[in-house]
Amino acid sequence: MDVATPTAENPLPSFDIVSTYRRILASDPDLTMPVAAIEALVEALAHSSVSTIAETLQLLERHTNILKASTPNPISLSAGTDLFQRYMIATLNRPTSLGGSVHLGPSDDFRAIRNHLLSSGKLFVERAKASREKIASFGKHFIRDGATVLTNGGSRVVGALLRRAAESSTIRFRVIYVLSPSTSSDSREGHQTVADLRAHNVPVATIPDSAVAYSLGKVDMVIVGAEGVVENGGIISRLGTYQMGLLAKSKGKPFYVVAESHKFVRLYPLSQFDLPIDQKILDFTVSDDDKVSGEQKTSEDEGVADLNPEEARSKCSGKNVDDAVDFTPPDLISGIITESGVLTPSAVSEELIKIWF
Amino acid sequence: MAEGTAIATPGLSSFLKSLKTTPVEPSVAYLISLLKRRQIRNSRQCAVATTALLLRVVGEFKGKDSAKLVERIRQVGRRLTSAQPREVVVGNIVRRVLGLVREVVEDHLDAETNATSDIGHNSQPHNDSLSRPTLSSTISTFSPLKHATAEPLDASTHQSETMSDSGELPKRPGLLTSHTSYVPSSSAPLVNSLFGLFSHPDTPSTSNTPTGHQSPDNKGMLTSLNLERLADFSNSKFDVKAEVMDGIRELQDELDQSDDLIAANALDHIHSNEIILTHTASTGVQKFLLTAARKRKFTVVHVETFPHDHTGTHSVLLTGKNRDHSGDSEEDSFKPLRAAGIQVVMIPDSHVFAIMSQVNKVILATHTVLANGGLVAASGARMIAAAAKAHQTPVVVVSGVYKLSPVYPFDIDELIEYGDPGSVVPYEDGGFVDLVDVENPLYDYVPADLVDLYITNLGGHAPSYLYRIVADHYRTEDINL
Repeated sequence: MDVATPTAENPLPSFDIVSTYRRILASDPDLTMPVAAIEALVEALAHSSVSTIAETLQLLERHTNILKASTPNPISLSAGTDLFQRYMIATLNRPTSLGGSVHLGPSDDFRAIRNHLLSSGKLFVERAKASREKIASFGKHFIRDGATVLTNGGSRVVGALLRRAAESSTIRFRVIYVLSPSTSSDSREGHQTVADLRAHNVPVATIPDSAVAYSLGKVDMVIVGAEGVVENGGIISRLGTYQMGLLAKSKGKPFYVVAESHKFVRLYPLSQFDLPIDQKILDFTVSDDDKVSGEQKTSEDEGVADLNPEEARSKCSGKNVDDAVDFTPPDLISGIITESGVLTPSAVSEELIKIWF
Repeated sequence: MAEGTAIATPGLSSFLKSLKTTPVEPSVAYLISLLKRRQIRNSRQCAVATTALLLRVVGEFKGKDSAKLVERIRQVGRRLTSAQPREVVVGNIVRRVLGLVREVVEDHLDAETNATSDIGHNSQPHNDSLSRPTLSSTISTFSPLKHATAEPLDASTHQSETMSDSGELPKRPGLLTSHTSYVPSSSAPLVNSLFGLFSHPDTPSTSNTPTGHQSPDNKGMLTSLNLERLADFSNSKFDVKAEVMDGIRELQDELDQSDDLIAANALDHIHSNEIILTHTASTGVQKFLLTAARKRKFTVVHVETFPHDHTGTHSVLLTGKNRDHSGDSEEDSFKPLRAAGIQVVMIPDSHVFAIMSQVNKVILATHTVLANGGLVAASGARMIAAAAKAHQTPVVVVSGVYKLSPVYPFDIDELIEYGDPGSVVPYEDGGFVDLVDVENPLYDYVPADLVDLYITNLGGHAPSYLYRIVADHYRTEDINL
């Protein structure tokens, strides 16, 4: 029966979740992947005519799977879809939690929840952005007058935080920005942040990955963004974050992660190679030619020919190093700054357990 | 720094005595001056004084508007904390009391609206006691810790917060009218902060300032009291004041008993023939060691804590009396460790590293415990902790929950207080002072990773778990006083 109903009344084939997701993501540069995924799922819900809880969950699961399969690195995205799924289960199973003043029957409940979701899709986005601003507003207190902050990547939250700190007239600080020498969206964001900070009269030094250890002596604190915060309190972030964490730890510098709580994802990686994605960073080969990586890189190489390290990197055998991520274990992290406060890494699992069990 | 005779010099005892006769405002001013002059110092004394004062403040509060009561407590709290920002405990107590008021008010709000909604439409058939979130255990819900710093953009931009801040006063509707729209939200089972993105009205953590150990009985008493009162005049204003005062008295009990409760854990941590290293003249640590001494024989290596606490340390070792604590007569009543048959070795601070290789366990007293698991303790603590780390010796910190602060140490230097350099270089050596700078920092910041275990009156906790205890004890809306 469960099998029969969705096919009977689902306009699933006509709705393309992947393109919806991409469109949403492209439409707003400020949007993060989890939120875009939630947005896409809401839209999927709107395009369907499901009327029972089981159907809804099934529909969500199918769309989620399609969505995950379509992206090379679905970790961040799955944080959003998981959250949405848990939310649906939690609300649909507990009708009274809707907050309606009248006692509703189960079907009314379902409709009400659905309507709520459909009508407030934009709200989620706004709220996600608001939480970024909120993080920025108290995260900026971490930056003390005269501090030098080391950061990397193109995290928008970190950008917002630094910008907020720069706007405040009482804090004078310097930023060392680790820029990846490529044209990935990540590094574009980074360049944008650097330009913004300089416009705010904040002295910014940009360095390549290889100069992190060299610069660390001048650094007071490290602030990084994250693609996902995993269950043990570690983070999944742009390749190079792990080494920054290790170096910061060895130099005794505080290492803060800035992430919205919707990036919490239920993964428990123990090492770099436990991530549920296949990154071909390590590519052992006996052949000397760099044809493999060459053809991978040609399209990306064009705009940045003037940047020296790029030439070196393109000779590496690993593929897609620019989009790759690594896992920073929790013992390297001093604190995770979320919109609900500064958490210790061990608090993450508690937050996750609360929605899953 | 130590006041000579307790009765003559202003201090905790004189404050407590005067509190009985003086009206509130002069009392507040008196405490502020005592704090400013450092005539009341040490976490415990500050906590006792603040609690006593707040009990008075609440007791003399006129009117029944709980919003005004909160504002009043806040205002007093702000004055006290700004008088001596480094005595973080003062702020802690104020926040605890504020949380108490909110809790009492929310309980009634819940109960009353439940009552009305029962009458209106039998949507939620439940008995009052079940719907009251305070009854749940300490570990009921978790509201993540916020900063001790201002957050400019606030609840208004963040809607899930708006709901969670139902205790936020400006937004709270009057107490008495029935808020049917509010009730389901506050009694909703769905209280997850990760779901904050979705706008369902959920309230994270409505709860639990567990006023210590005894909370089961006391809470039970409190609730039955509530029920009676509600039965009596379910339509009239309830007495916030009386309940808050009950709560503050519970808090006082907690302060009184926290040392004993901590000491109850001693046998789990101190074993026969161990060598324990400790420092300062902390009553809590002494009681802890004494409790263990009843059953076990061990050796205590006591670090002198020169220059600011060595007199106290000496007198504790010799007589069991701490001159700094002379205000509290009942606190003096323990016997010295050696009377309990414990071998005590006193060493100067400089010997810590040398002797650490023989030590089995380090027990530290603390001034304040911070939300990230770090602590502020008498200077020398960090050196001891670092030496212990180098020798892989476990470091146990003994602290009452009242010392646990929601403050996040953004800037460690701000937390360190500098004392009288005269105790380092006596004034007779005045010429010496002309040639060199003499500094006497009173406190050390010990980072969380140097500590292995915290023992509070609630039991033992890993440093990484402290955020949770903070979340259980302080309301997020109170963190910025």
